[in-house]
Amino acid sequence: MNPMDELTLTPSLTVTHDTIQLIAKSHRARRVLISRVVTALCLAALVISAVPLVLLLVQLVTRGASQLNTAFFTTLPQSPTIMSPNLTGGVSNAIIGTIALTVYASLMAIPVGVFAGVYLGESTSKFASVLRIVAQTMAGAPSILMGLFGFSFVVKFLHVGFSAIAGSFALAVLMLPVIAISTELSIRGVPNTLREAGLALGAKPHTISTKIVIPSALTGIVTGCMLAVARAVGETAPVLLTIGGGYINQWRPLNPVSALPLSIYINAKSEYPSERAQVWGIALVLVLFVFVVSLSARVWAARKQKRNS
Amino acid sequence: MTVLLDNLKDDDLTENISAGPSRGWYHWLIVIASSLFAVVSIGFVGSILAYSFPAWGHAATLITGRGWQSPTGPYGGLAMITGTLETSLLALTFAVLVGLGTSIAIVFLVPRRLRTIVATAVELLAAVPSIIYGLWGFLVLAPWMLKSFDPFLAKLPFSSAIFGPSSQQFGPSLLLASVVLGVMILPTFVAISREVISAVPNDLVEASYSLGATRWQVIKDVVLPAAKIGLLGATFLSLARATGETVAVALVAGGVADVQFHLLQPGTSIAAWIATQFGEAQGNEISALMALGVLLMLINFSLSLISRSLVNRQRKALARV
Repeated sequence: MNPMDELTLTPSLTVTHDTIQLIAKSHRARRVLISRVVTALCLAALVISAVPLVLLLVQLVTRGASQLNTAFFTTLPQSPTIMSPNLTGGVSNAIIGTIALTVYASLMAIPVGVFAGVYLGESTSKFASVLRIVAQTMAGAPSILMGLFGFSFVVKFLHVGFSAIAGSFALAVLMLPVIAISTELSIRGVPNTLREAGLALGAKPHTISTKIVIPSALTGIVTGCMLAVARAVGETAPVLLTIGGGYINQWRPLNPVSALPLSIYINAKSEYPSERAQVWGIALVLVLFVFVVSLSARVWAARKQKRNS
Repeated sequence: MTVLLDNLKDDDLTENISAGPSRGWYHWLIVIASSLFAVVSIGFVGSILAYSFPAWGHAATLITGRGWQSPTGPYGGLAMITGTLETSLLALTFAVLVGLGTSIAIVFLVPRRLRTIVATAVELLAAVPSIIYGLWGFLVLAPWMLKSFDPFLAKLPFSSAIFGPSSQQFGPSLLLASVVLGVMILPTFVAISREVISAVPNDLVEASYSLGATRWQVIKDVVLPAAKIGLLGATFLSLARATGETVAVALVAGGVADVQFHLLQPGTSIAAWIATQFGEAQGNEISALMALGVLLMLINFSLSLISRSLVNRQRKALARV
């Protein structure tokens, strides 16, 4: 017998090569089987998570698309009555309100957020590191709290009342940390060699920042702002407590306005099927807007990055 | 000293210019912007605290009391606190179990070419406004659950003990709220955990494959241990999002302020209760709702601090590998 075929483990126990192979084979079969089962489970998880999300999107498109027509965008809402239950009108007030809210909120949040982000990106002071933690915590704060802030500060404390400015203030507070963090990350992504090259040319620190660092980081900064806008447009809770609503087309900052998410929230609970059906149209418009803004931000950023590298 | 070139602090280059007159308008612009941000953040906490102040006289009722008698009081918050815990923990269980499998499938099973598309799709879904999930839950899922799912649940053993009698007229329930929340935080969890899992160095994965490990052994013994802390961070972040969710829960939970452990019965959560009650609230009720907001803030801030520190620790651990 070949000595290689026989392994002596202990003086009393001998194991042949065949036995080892047999054990290894059966062990391997078990390992492979377990691996296959788990792989199948992971695929099942992928399907389970895809099904509700795909269903949601399909229903959103099929139910929403039939609601969209010119009157939907250009006329004021009308309340259905028992006599004419199909009367819904359009949502022009909510569209104008949402545009106004978003523009005011961006005007407030983008300048402060971007320059605060530049500070976070360039400074290593104690204040900057505290502010960084504050920004990260604020970015995850529930949006209803922004509503409470907008209500307590603008509506009550400043006695402005329910108004577009109160709502856009709440949305600006929501956008601010998001913009600051994304700006900080883009500023940090600019290599120090560029700053040193600027110094070597004799440029002043503020020239280096405005002429070298910010232009190099601009793609990331703009992407961050767009994503913040996309988030603010769809937020319901902050505007629920602050804008007051209303059935007229109006955009003035100190008067109450309506908004698309608010119309969804209110009309979803309507007792008229026609109003509940119209909600899908509003939802589709909102989701399309959010998708277009965030997709174009991502695609633009990816393309710029590719060109730079 | 200018804050602008702090990144180069250790460098000899900056020493000469540091002494120069660099505190120009630009320096002040960014300092003022960041101070404004700090002031807004302090105002955010301060303003909510200030308006909640009258309610803290009844702090015990607010935290342990049952029943919300508007407009006279007392205002008990126990139902909202238990509702928040029940719905968000159930949703988290669903999102973590399904989400972990999904992330593993995306990183290890989806073909490389499709991976960016799937990742982008997940991030887009995470950006869908929560009101849309609420709307879908309210108009589609609620009637479906009443018609098809509840009768199925009723056949299971111990059904009445866990789920209680189904409220036949209305779809909304704590279970529906948990399902909608779970579907909603799923993309958030997957977006982060996918990133954490794919950040595990490929060397480790390939080395263990070359030792003859099966895919599951690689995942179980190499990938998951390396990604452990980051995955925990993703879990806490998803939990923070679930506890703070407002309008979706307001639409599908039922909006009833009862301490309720039967999942098919209607309930509410802290955030949803603030949203539904705020419209008609006056005086003391507003401060009681603000005080609920303070509770929510405490829960959310501690969860997000925990998750941030976990994610940062993960990043440092991987940087060392």
